[in-house]
Amino acid sequence: MKKQEWVGTTYGNNWMHKWLIRILKVVDLRILYVFVAMFIIPICLLVNKSGVITYRYFRKRVGYSVIKSMWSVYINHVLFSQVVIDKFAMWAGKKFDVEIDGYEYFLELANKPDGFVQLSAHIGNYEIAGYTLVAETKRFNALVFFGEKQSVVENRKKMFESTNIHMIAVRPDMGHLFEINQALSNGEIVSMSADRMLGSQKKQIIPFLKGEAQFPTGPFSVATLRGLEVIAVNVMKTGVRKYKIYVTPLYYDSTKSRKEQIESLSKSYVAELERMMSIYPTQWYNYFDIWKK
Amino acid sequence: MENLIKTLKEQIIEALNLEEITPEEINANDPIFGDNGLGLDSIDALELIVLLEKNYGIRFADPSEAKKVFGSIATIAEYVSKNRTK
Repeated sequence: MKKQEWVGTTYGNNWMHKWLIRILKVVDLRILYVFVAMFIIPICLLVNKSGVITYRYFRKRVGYSVIKSMWSVYINHVLFSQVVIDKFAMWAGKKFDVEIDGYEYFLELANKPDGFVQLSAHIGNYEIAGYTLVAETKRFNALVFFGEKQSVVENRKKMFESTNIHMIAVRPDMGHLFEINQALSNGEIVSMSADRMLGSQKKQIIPFLKGEAQFPTGPFSVATLRGLEVIAVNVMKTGVRKYKIYVTPLYYDSTKSRKEQIESLSKSYVAELERMMSIYPTQWYNYFDIWKK
Repeated sequence: MENLIKTLKEQIIEALNLEEITPEEINANDPIFGDNGLGLDSIDALELIVLLEKNYGIRFADPSEAKKVFGSIATIAEYVSKNRTK
């Protein structure tokens, strides 16, 4: 079977990223949004196969008509370009309004001595606001893609150097697993996305948006390993400079077998993901066809 | 050592949900990872790390050390017998 693993990185080279940050320091976000929507996205849709996968998502999973699906593919890519621009705008020093739904769940876990796990997905814009959910007493560890561009890695480092946020890069050896294990046993927070294969190829089939979808087993296995509590954190774009963070507790019975723990946690996660997509159907940026048989 | 190998096989089968395999079917010298042996992958390695920590008090400080230890059930048993604190 073909290995399904994310190998892409943020578009553009290091030089382009640096210039984008310089431009964003002086230019209004909306000007860049309009420029990209008019001149870049139409070209991307012609050369990139993500349009086909996204069309299938709107047609079969969301249940839109042919015309509405085609229009939604365009809107989806425009929104995706905006969240990428927002990420660079954040590195350029721009501020965003962030509303938090369910903050009490985060605070409750942050005030306990044990570590916990935060599961996210490739929807909305986790990076722009997910890292703002930081507990003063606990180190926050985010699992990130190892092959990301140097400029992206450097900007993240710069952004988080004065905070207690730590990036764990998924590496071909088992080093990242040791770091995750160490962090959780030290009572820290570990954050990772759970909708895409990264590293381990173990997967499970779960009903999701009118079909049987493939989800990785790894994140749920790691999350349940020490019987720790788990929350879903999704950050959705609600305006030009506005985001809303949804913090939702996820459930599994830590007294059951490992298999049952993983199954019930993944179902709880997928139910929350489905709820998010029913509110924000155009902010689905997992450009893998996870329903492909 | 034989008893420890048998116990480790049972614990690994339970922790990793290898329901279709019995302890007798596992050769203690077969590689744990990759297609030639048990076919485990990196996530299973993490399960093994926690299993050894919970049951035998073993904590690995260095990933490369764990990689060597996780060669086969026999190498795990040898390491556990020398380094266990529980």
